[in-house]
Amino acid sequence: MKNNKRVMTLPGMAVLFFCAIVPLFIMLAYSFQSDSGTGFTLENYSRFFTKTFYLTLTLRTIVNSLLVTVISLLLSYPLAYIMAKHLKGLKNIVMVLLIIPFFTNQLVRVYSWLIFLQDGGVFERLMNTLGLVDGTMGLLYTRAAVIIGLIHAFFPYMVITIYMALERLDNSLLEASSCLGASKTTTFFRVVLPMSMPGVITGIMIVFVPCLGTFVEPRILGGVNGTVIGTVIEDQFFEIYGWNFGAAIAFILLAMVLVSMAAINRLGRRYEG
Amino acid sequence: MIKSIFMKIYVLLTILFLYTPIVVLMVMGFNESRYNSLPFQFSLQWYEDLSQNTRLIEAAEHSFYLALVTGIICVLLATLFILGVQSLSKRTEGLCRSVMMMPMSIPWLIMGLSMLLLIRFIDMDKNLLFVAAGHVVISLPYAMLVLQARLHSIDPALEEMSLSLGAPPLTTFRRITLPAIAPAMVAGGFLSFMISFDNFAISYFLMPAGISTLPIEIQSSIKFGFTPEINAISTIIIGISLLCLAIVGLIMGGSLKNVLGGNK
Repeated sequence: MKNNKRVMTLPGMAVLFFCAIVPLFIMLAYSFQSDSGTGFTLENYSRFFTKTFYLTLTLRTIVNSLLVTVISLLLSYPLAYIMAKHLKGLKNIVMVLLIIPFFTNQLVRVYSWLIFLQDGGVFERLMNTLGLVDGTMGLLYTRAAVIIGLIHAFFPYMVITIYMALERLDNSLLEASSCLGASKTTTFFRVVLPMSMPGVITGIMIVFVPCLGTFVEPRILGGVNGTVIGTVIEDQFFEIYGWNFGAAIAFILLAMVLVSMAAINRLGRRYEG
Repeated sequence: MIKSIFMKIYVLLTILFLYTPIVVLMVMGFNESRYNSLPFQFSLQWYEDLSQNTRLIEAAEHSFYLALVTGIICVLLATLFILGVQSLSKRTEGLCRSVMMMPMSIPWLIMGLSMLLLIRFIDMDKNLLFVAAGHVVISLPYAMLVLQARLHSIDPALEEMSLSLGAPPLTTFRRITLPAIAPAMVAGGFLSFMISFDNFAISYFLMPAGISTLPIEIQSSIKFGFTPEINAISTIIIGISLLCLAIVGLIMGGSLKNVLGGNK
């Protein structure tokens, strides 16, 4: 019986093995070959690490992801807190409203920002009418547009993870804290915030890591100003046909993803137990 | 009192941020202007154009069939896996689980490109089978999370009881386990369906020339000058997604947020 059951994991594992693990190793192999000849070479990697263009690009990708993460966090925490502690019946409606965008097409969402932010678009009209901005804003095809699009795509996940952590927080702890004479601010910083840290850490993971690998939002909303590692990899494969170099950059991106996951995990371990 | 009003305004503003561009897009689909510009004048022209656009309709069909196949395969693989994985030793179980969850943390860009290199490496042409395989790999973790959440809530004693009362394993599965996890199978299927239906990255890298899906069509119309027909089709896509979400939500109830908040 036990052995029979074990066999049932094989189809899934086989699909994963042949369609995810083997391809990654093939990609690794490609990254160590030059476009012209065969044989092992490190030239793709050395090209990446010796050109300032690629290093600036890496820095920009990281800064973008950090900005998106920090702004999402600042936006999410109050929302999650209000949902968990102050909205009673409404919180389920807000939760559904937050989940819906997960099920709307990524490209539809990016496209909607394209229309919304374009010159002469609704946002510009709105700002002009309110008298906040005069004339053209030129917001589309800037880094700001990319960051807005990415925050829009990722912050609901962060709200949900922080909300789940805050909801688990026992209200009697808050009462205990105030009974013992702590002010609201002290209670927040000494009780609420530390107890919600696992949610915050998961949120950071869910936002920062996927941000590193995006290429659709930067390309469409940022144009030439949106260049990040993801868009350069896409160019290498589809415009320049430098597949080996592209594979090397993809591996550098993968390494960045794995390193940041490990770092965030480590950070998270401090708040466990 | 004032504090509570401020809080409600804050919630409202974030929801507005989330929905304004999407609502603008939907409204512009009913606007006469070709350039999504104001003033607004109601027109159904873009929906009429859409109904004539065989290219987009074909792309929609491809998206649908691809998502259907992906959904079915994901449910089968995920169900088999989560039922089987418990019988492994603790260490192997953990290892297998993290392997299956791996596509959730690797950017789809890298997943898609590495499969493209695989196809080139084995010297084959791009075909729909590879696209489907790619979709299955990235959707599988979500189907597994849904099934896992459901399986956790089942009392293992039920199965043991059935077995000790003399029911053969297959009967136990058919009469006890299957009915218990069936709703999660449906929900997991819809979830994988949606992820596949919406996927751009994997399809974009692996689709054979001449075949496209809706997200690919949207991308290329953004690239080569967009028309409000795209607003119309986007509105329809949002409608379909909401319908799927409603179904998944009805089946899974409140535990849906656990799936999204799981690990990504």
